[in-house]
Amino acid sequence: MERIVQGASAAEVVKQLQNSDGYHITNTARDLSQSDFKNRILLHTDLLAADSRERAGYFSLEITGGASVHVDILRKQVDPFLKLELLREKMPNTMFQTLCRGVNLFGYRPYPQNVIRFTVKEFAKYVDVWRTFDFMNYIPNMQAVFEEVAKAGKLNEPCICFSTGPEHTDAYYLAKVKEILDVTGEDIVLCIKNHGGLGTPKRIGELVDTIRQKYPDLPLHYHGHNTDGNDVGRIVAAVQNGANIVDAADASFTGFYGPPPILTVIQTLKDLGHNAATIDEEAVIETSEVIRDERQHYEAFESQIKGFQPTVQIHKLPGGAMGSSLEQAVKGGFLDKMPDILHKELPRVQKELGNYWSVTPGSQILWTTAVSNVQGGERYGNPSGDLRNLLLGKYGPFPFYEPDEWIFEKVLGSDWKKVLEEEGGVEDISDMDIDKEKETLTERIAEDPTDQQLVLYLQHPNDAVEFFKFEAKFGKVHVLPPSIFLKTGGFEPGETLEFVDHTGKEHMVEVGPSNVAEDGETSVYLYVDHHQRIYKFAPELADGAAAAPVAMSKEEVLDLAKAGDIRASFSGNVCEISVEEGQEVAVGDKVAVMEAMKMQTPITSAIDGIVTAVSAKVGDALQPGDKLLKVDVDE
Amino acid sequence: MLWQVPFRDFQFYSIVQGVALKTKILVANRGEIAIRLIRAIQELDYEAVAVYESPDKDSRHIRLANEAVWLGAGPRCDYLDISKIIKAAKKSGATAIHPGYGFLAENPDFAKACEDTGITFIGPSSDVITNLGNKVIARKIMAEAGIPMVPGSDNLAAGKEGEEFAIAFAAKYKYPIMLKATCGGGGRGIRLIENDNQMRDEIPVARAEAKAAFNDERVYLEKVVIEPKHVEVQIMADKNGKTVHLGTRDCSIQRRNQKLIEIAPSMISDKALLQEICDTAVKAAKASNYFNAGTVEFLIDKEFNYYFMEINTRVQVEHTVTEMITGIDIVRTQIKLALGKPLAFCQEDVQMRGHAIEMRINAEDPQADFMPEGGKTVSVYRSPGGYGVRLDGFVYQGFTIPEVYDSLLVKMTVHGFSWNETVDRLRRCLQNFVIAGPKTTIPFYLNIAKDEDFISGNFDTSYLDKHPQLFEYDDNANEASKLSNLIAEIHHRGHNPYAA
Repeated sequence: MERIVQGASAAEVVKQLQNSDGYHITNTARDLSQSDFKNRILLHTDLLAADSRERAGYFSLEITGGASVHVDILRKQVDPFLKLELLREKMPNTMFQTLCRGVNLFGYRPYPQNVIRFTVKEFAKYVDVWRTFDFMNYIPNMQAVFEEVAKAGKLNEPCICFSTGPEHTDAYYLAKVKEILDVTGEDIVLCIKNHGGLGTPKRIGELVDTIRQKYPDLPLHYHGHNTDGNDVGRIVAAVQNGANIVDAADASFTGFYGPPPILTVIQTLKDLGHNAATIDEEAVIETSEVIRDERQHYEAFESQIKGFQPTVQIHKLPGGAMGSSLEQAVKGGFLDKMPDILHKELPRVQKELGNYWSVTPGSQILWTTAVSNVQGGERYGNPSGDLRNLLLGKYGPFPFYEPDEWIFEKVLGSDWKKVLEEEGGVEDISDMDIDKEKETLTERIAEDPTDQQLVLYLQHPNDAVEFFKFEAKFGKVHVLPPSIFLKTGGFEPGETLEFVDHTGKEHMVEVGPSNVAEDGETSVYLYVDHHQRIYKFAPELADGAAAAPVAMSKEEVLDLAKAGDIRASFSGNVCEISVEEGQEVAVGDKVAVMEAMKMQTPITSAIDGIVTAVSAKVGDALQPGDKLLKVDVDE
Repeated sequence: MLWQVPFRDFQFYSIVQGVALKTKILVANRGEIAIRLIRAIQELDYEAVAVYESPDKDSRHIRLANEAVWLGAGPRCDYLDISKIIKAAKKSGATAIHPGYGFLAENPDFAKACEDTGITFIGPSSDVITNLGNKVIARKIMAEAGIPMVPGSDNLAAGKEGEEFAIAFAAKYKYPIMLKATCGGGGRGIRLIENDNQMRDEIPVARAEAKAAFNDERVYLEKVVIEPKHVEVQIMADKNGKTVHLGTRDCSIQRRNQKLIEIAPSMISDKALLQEICDTAVKAAKASNYFNAGTVEFLIDKEFNYYFMEINTRVQVEHTVTEMITGIDIVRTQIKLALGKPLAFCQEDVQMRGHAIEMRINAEDPQADFMPEGGKTVSVYRSPGGYGVRLDGFVYQGFTIPEVYDSLLVKMTVHGFSWNETVDRLRRCLQNFVIAGPKTTIPFYLNIAKDEDFISGNFDTSYLDKHPQLFEYDDNANEASKLSNLIAEIHHRGHNPYAA
């Protein structure tokens, strides 16, 4: 069959899937990065893989969404929009897929409706397939996203989050599918989202079959994790029972908690008579070879504990949260308590809190509650604000049953019934004044933000501003390979580093010596494009590199001029002071003449007023920012 | 690995490298033109004497010359000091002086001082310089010879009277009006005036600048031809009055009336018109009894009317493009003519071949209104080479650009058989040119070399104003430095704190 290419309408994609003679594969690169590399796989690596991934003929490449949008700006220092733009240049045909947390977007708490719509609208310019879920399977929480995606002409892929237990019956999930279709209409792909990699192949096979029987034409996409080492089994069962698309990842980067290897899926299913439609196996293999050597640089971000975790069937943590949970345990010094937390407390908390789906942000609530129950002594004695909101129903109604009253009492206090009555229920968050936020952002970054910058700011205000400042200071760092960006232990003296900047220009940096001065300041010598540069670092690096004293910028000088504080805007000599103290001046009046490199430039007043001070005299050599004279508004 | 670029520390004394038996010619200039002159002098097997002020003590022209004389602490005043230059010539035994362009090149007092002391001035006589340097007298000579001209005024009277006359002149011919230094030239001392207020403000500033630059504060007015092309003709004349032209140059691409890019020949397709302009230039030169090398400048309006502007009585910055297409060494010819030789070629011998483009690579930031970058050190200097490119420069890796002189670092001239080939070569050479340290006009020129209007020869003096997109480019050197800042921090801290 013809491969499905980016740009087709939702209806066309659905039709192609219905007529396809095989199953399709989504390369879940983002989920792999999040589950097994703490979301650190750099754009640099994805760009290396782009050419062969484009040729591989995937249904889609899941490359954004989830926690990645936040980590992009927080830890990878890359603009999530630029990332998509650059990948699109190299991958003109492949559909890009995101994972959206419905009303919680790419974050952890519900956003106002207008922010959701604005965010989806901006991202939909690059993202073709929108996998959207709600951890309570509460469909109204996804509605705004559905609408904006449809409006942008992109494909909705609503999820039913899957879990196990007596309440998680086929009948329950069938009802959810109907609820979704009633809202979205038929031009969608339905995702069975098995974020924990839960259940057996038999269980997944049954569920897919049940939905397939009821909805023969509905394209089904099975998403799983390999935490127990058996997701290939579940994938096989899903395809055998009629799933159209399955998730897997590039073999050379597969780990323990993310998707299983693509090639394993292809080989297994081929022997069972299922054809991976539109897939170019050579290109799949090539991708793994191209990026294999890069993996060594990500070692620090791989799981602290090696090996599959079949006990996921007990603790149910999603693959995407395994890495960060273990990291917390290591940093918090409670790695030894993990068996208790994972195998005893977490399943207990899960049951007590209504057996909902352990996925963001619900999984974080379960996890922090379990950790605090074990660490804090008294169970539910130190409830988080998010647990409180969960009990108040802010995220949506409990799907099966409500927690016991004693938990409500512990978390909400003795008057919990009154609190619940007054504050309970799904919150109707009022719209944000986006124009006002834009003004604030403009002030904070001292320039007019783009819509994309504004979107990032609305998600994570402080982290976005920090990122914009980082970019202004360090440039577009996505061009640095992981061997540089994630280097630990410093470089070798004399080592030569090479990279190509975002305009395509090659650069070479040779590492020179570092000298520590008596006051503790370190000077790092680099030879940048054959040009020696010295970077200085103060002994206490509280907030990055020490700022070198710089002369005032032209903009700063112009700003001050508007307040009557007239300063030199370039370095030069004063050759005339045209006014005296006490003299009246009007806007545009010449107040002085400066000369630099033979050219004389009249300096004019930016305001009407009276000259109150003359700070420079003829012949003075001034630097940008040095005072010339002062004009005060005549009161 | 060398972590510092070593260079010789020159002392302030004259450097004598041989016995002065040969003819010596003093080069009364600095920068790239000093080197250009020294090369021609040494090719003729004469000896070149350089002069310098203290801020130029590390300048390369001093090293290339056979000897060098320190004039004083400067800046500029010593290069402009006639008696010091004459003294330096006498002291070193130089019998001729080449003034280059700028400084004393068009100062008739200097030519006169040379004539009076028996030193050969390489250029026209002081009388010719006086007449042509005074724009008012020059206009009179040209008017009598029937050369077409732009309406203009006499020198403005001092104070209120001159101001009032200027306002009246502007009322008659309408703004914009050019306010020009009577002794100016080369784009110096020219201001565009848009209204009466500006006229009143700028007249005193222009006078002061003229006084500082040319030691003559007189100014006059000229009507502005809207969006003209600037076309000029190179003239060579010997003492017998034999006068030939070396074709046209287009110098329309300018900023603040200073030329940035020069092209030979003019891109005007009407060959008969160009021939007529060249003939008019020869006529103008003859009318003023011209001798040695000179340039007759014209403005050409949208209807292809041409107007005489002025005659520059010196070698031009942009003489290189004419040399490239004619094969005639203008500076060498200047020296021979000054030493009394007749012109060795006639008009029919002058053959134009191909096209040449010169770009003035300046230490300036085009994105900050061409703010000069003086005071910075050239930390990397990698120049292009290969077929059809010529460089006339004076900077080198490790050189600190003096703040007190102009910002021209190097002139890059490319030559090609066809216009397209020449532009292709221009682009290649700009891409190969790496200067780090100061910001330069290179990335800006690269945008010009890729601009459709430039490529199709469609430009006049309004070109920069009408193409603001030329100023949009990324400063790559800056980007590398920013990224290296992060690399330094990763190295220093042993990990990337922004990826932790």
